[in-house]
Amino acid sequence: MNTKKYFINALTYLVLILFTLIALYPIINVFTISIRPGDKLLSTSLAIIPDNWTLRQYAELFVKRPFMLWIMNSAIISATVTLTGVALASTAGYALSRFQFVGKQSSMLALLTTQMFPATMLLLPMYIMLIKLHLINSYLGIIIIYSATALPFCVWQMKGYYDTIPYSLEESARIDGCNKWQAFYKIILPLATPALVITALFSFMTAWSEYIVAAQILQDTSLYTLPIGLKSFESNLSTEWGLYAAASLIVSVPVVVLFVVLSKWLVSGLTLGSVKG
Amino acid sequence: MKKIPILLALLFTAFFFFGCGKKDKADEIVIWHNMRPEETARLQKQLDAFMKINPGIKVLQLFKETEEMRSGFIVAAIAGQGPDLVYGPSDQVGPFVEIGIVKKLDEIFPPDYLKHFNKQALIYTNGHLWQIADKLGNHLTLVYNKKLVPVPPSTDEELIEIGKKLTIDKDGDGKIDQYGIVWNYTEPYFFVPFLTGHNGWVIDSNRHPTLNTPEMIAGLKFMRDLRDKYKIIPREADYNLADALFKEGRAGMMINGDWSWSSYGAAGIDYAIAPLPKITSTGKFCAPMISPKGYSINNKVQGEKLANVKKLIEYLNTPEQQLETALLTKTFPTREEAYNDPKLIADPILRNSKAQIELGIPLPIVTEMRAIWDAMRPPYQAVLGGSMTAENAAKQMQAEAEKKIAELREDISNPIEGIIIQVVLLAVVLVSIFMVRKSIVQFIRNLRKDSFAYIFAMPALLIMFAVIIYPFCYNIILSFSNMSLSHINNWTVIGFAQYIQVFKEPLFYQIFLKTIIWTVVNLFFHVTLGVFLALLLNKNLPGTPIFRTLLILPWAVPQYIVALTWRGMFNYEYGAINLVLNYLHLPAVAWLKSPTEAFISVIITNIWLGFPFMMIIALGALQSIPAELYEAADIDGAKWYHKLTQITIPLIKPVMVPAITLGVIWTFNNLNIVWLVSNAGEPSDQTHILVSFVYKAAFNLYRYGYAAAFSVVLFLILLLFGTTFLRKTKATESVY
Repeated sequence: MNTKKYFINALTYLVLILFTLIALYPIINVFTISIRPGDKLLSTSLAIIPDNWTLRQYAELFVKRPFMLWIMNSAIISATVTLTGVALASTAGYALSRFQFVGKQSSMLALLTTQMFPATMLLLPMYIMLIKLHLINSYLGIIIIYSATALPFCVWQMKGYYDTIPYSLEESARIDGCNKWQAFYKIILPLATPALVITALFSFMTAWSEYIVAAQILQDTSLYTLPIGLKSFESNLSTEWGLYAAASLIVSVPVVVLFVVLSKWLVSGLTLGSVKG
Repeated sequence: MKKIPILLALLFTAFFFFGCGKKDKADEIVIWHNMRPEETARLQKQLDAFMKINPGIKVLQLFKETEEMRSGFIVAAIAGQGPDLVYGPSDQVGPFVEIGIVKKLDEIFPPDYLKHFNKQALIYTNGHLWQIADKLGNHLTLVYNKKLVPVPPSTDEELIEIGKKLTIDKDGDGKIDQYGIVWNYTEPYFFVPFLTGHNGWVIDSNRHPTLNTPEMIAGLKFMRDLRDKYKIIPREADYNLADALFKEGRAGMMINGDWSWSSYGAAGIDYAIAPLPKITSTGKFCAPMISPKGYSINNKVQGEKLANVKKLIEYLNTPEQQLETALLTKTFPTREEAYNDPKLIADPILRNSKAQIELGIPLPIVTEMRAIWDAMRPPYQAVLGGSMTAENAAKQMQAEAEKKIAELREDISNPIEGIIIQVVLLAVVLVSIFMVRKSIVQFIRNLRKDSFAYIFAMPALLIMFAVIIYPFCYNIILSFSNMSLSHINNWTVIGFAQYIQVFKEPLFYQIFLKTIIWTVVNLFFHVTLGVFLALLLNKNLPGTPIFRTLLILPWAVPQYIVALTWRGMFNYEYGAINLVLNYLHLPAVAWLKSPTEAFISVIITNIWLGFPFMMIIALGALQSIPAELYEAADIDGAKWYHKLTQITIPLIKPVMVPAITLGVIWTFNNLNIVWLVSNAGEPSDQTHILVSFVYKAAFNLYRYGYAAAFSVVLFLILLLFGTTFLRKTKATESVY
């Protein structure tokens, strides 16, 4: 029995290592581009550390380009969208999971339909609308749009997770004297932390990596977000690949950090068993 | 937790704080441009100097990628917004003029001023001046590595001779290590010199394409022979590969434009440039297209601001400024005084560049060129791919170009059907209101009873509908309209014409099938890989957190560069994937050359990009399963697959189904990856899904009404899927 277990564990590691390598290889390529001299996207050599490698690109990002400004701007927008996403999705998901009310079925389907139009087609009317509301060149406009983009998935996802939590928990809470609101935030919300983590990550990523809407709405360089900044290294046929690659890697660092921090709650959230005792 | 309302209140205060939009100020000029980095640096210096002389005026310059500048400017200018000045290649002027979003410059600048400019720099069309160029060029020339090519070829025969000498397999492994000449030959723009060298051209003075000609056939054959008969160019070369080969000294010559030269010096190549060679059989030089680059003024600019804008243009275009720019950026000035300056001729790069410019042919600025490029690309690539003869390709190019021009110029009007449609739409709205009236009454009646649920659900729902409802209705109306190049500002509702066109499109059904395959295959792998890896990670073996973090990286890194990296990995000769296949003694695959393989490449890339997301969702979903259930199953002696099918899958379903549903919708409409990996549908527009097809065939040709109808069809397909899938999986109902 024990040898079998060892064998399975070894196999697990083997598979994980294999997939990690596949996941990493293209990203290692990006790293190679970032330290390769001469702004080459491709190379005929497969060496991971290229000849004459240099960290000049990384230095240039912080010294010569307003990279810190872009990071700050993106951080403000993404943090606000994340908070909005978590606050609104955790509540709306709960209502959709637990209560019967008129318009519930149709709102759930309507949530999905908001994602069904190709984004490029919505750009022009969205832009016209924001002009009429004087929301061009402002973070308010972009935060509203990003929240609206992230929410459908977040709401559905929260709703799905609440669905897996038995009703009996709230019933016993109500018997113990909790009101509806207390039953929600004292009993159910803590149980749903894994879903909250996913909601937070997804909302953050939506705002952190979005380019098309940002480029149309934010015209003032002092408002630029990371994706717009990144795009400015790219010109038609003479992209600054080294800078682009270096910036791309740095851009992903906050996402990874956020994931590492949040994954504590993603994988070791309170289990139902522990609550039921 | 009482903090949440306070937090929300704070948030909304923050909204209003950020929300002060800016008004259009007369002393603040915004320029959009597509200059390369060293030109941008130069422009910024000029602007700083200008602002010093004119302390009241503030000038902002913003870089935009060419395509994006064009579409972004159109969108913004239609809405009466956008930059005051737009700087770019002369061919972008064509659509701007037709849409009516740029000013007539001959009414602003007197002839006395304009006469100092080179004729090629003043972009006239329809009898008016629309753009003043400050740089000539954007032209291709022959770039050569002096170490390998001491004397550049002046004829095609010399080119082939030198090329053959340089194309060698140094280490005798059967693979070519150095090529005679490389360039981005899959792109028709880079083929034009060989067409002009054979005495051909793309369009006549009546804006009619001239692609089905003996000259075109000769040019295509010459191109194919370079690769297949003389074998002096690589089997596959796009822009980035050609660039890498030349920068690594693995190619003696290169064809590239003035934007690229300085980067070769920076990469340590001792390079020089020369005019492209002469074709012996015709006695004509291979002539590249020359496109001036310059400024146009947004139509909205008025009064005091216009005076400021004029002052700025004049400042940037003094002979002294132009000359300095030219010397710094190796571009060519347009002021007559600067054009003939001895300092320019003293520079060998600029001298040869000038020689090439004088041999070149101006790029036609008519909007039709867009249709011509799109029509040339697929047959041209098919000739190179060996699936079409040069004769058939020329014929097909011509036919496609004529068809696309007709589409570009389409002018549908049908006032009667238009009115009928408007009445029908109104009726539909009224009937739907009538049908849901009971629900509305019930809603109001229950508002108090269910207030808790509504308070919880409403904020999220309202914010989404506020954002989506206007664009949604706008698109529906647009889909019944004739909005196209001829009717950008004055479109009317015309009925079902655009829908009929969508369903009459012969490619629609074929691409629809491809889109389904694309979606199903992607989702299948995203979900199975995601759940599988999540199950492995959920065993919590030592070291799991490291794997977990590394495995989400494909999701965290910006897609653009990884997608292009994947494209590089699929390269036939140098890509990592073929090298691995080679190592395993498997035959190499021409991934990006043939339609099926190219499609598989795009799918592989997207699977790689998408599995981490599903993995995270599955990881979260697995936490909701109480360990007791597995313990109970163990006591009952259940096998692993029983546990998987009886416990795991049913319990992660409520979380996975929404993710899968949305995954399908996103994948179905995922434009980026197809676009980047297949380079906008290559080879020969065979690698498309519906959304990339509509983008290329309609949106790019300004057929907004048609594109809207197409999108509505996509929407309806997804709606049908969504409702069926949710009903089948009962995802809207609770499990308990």
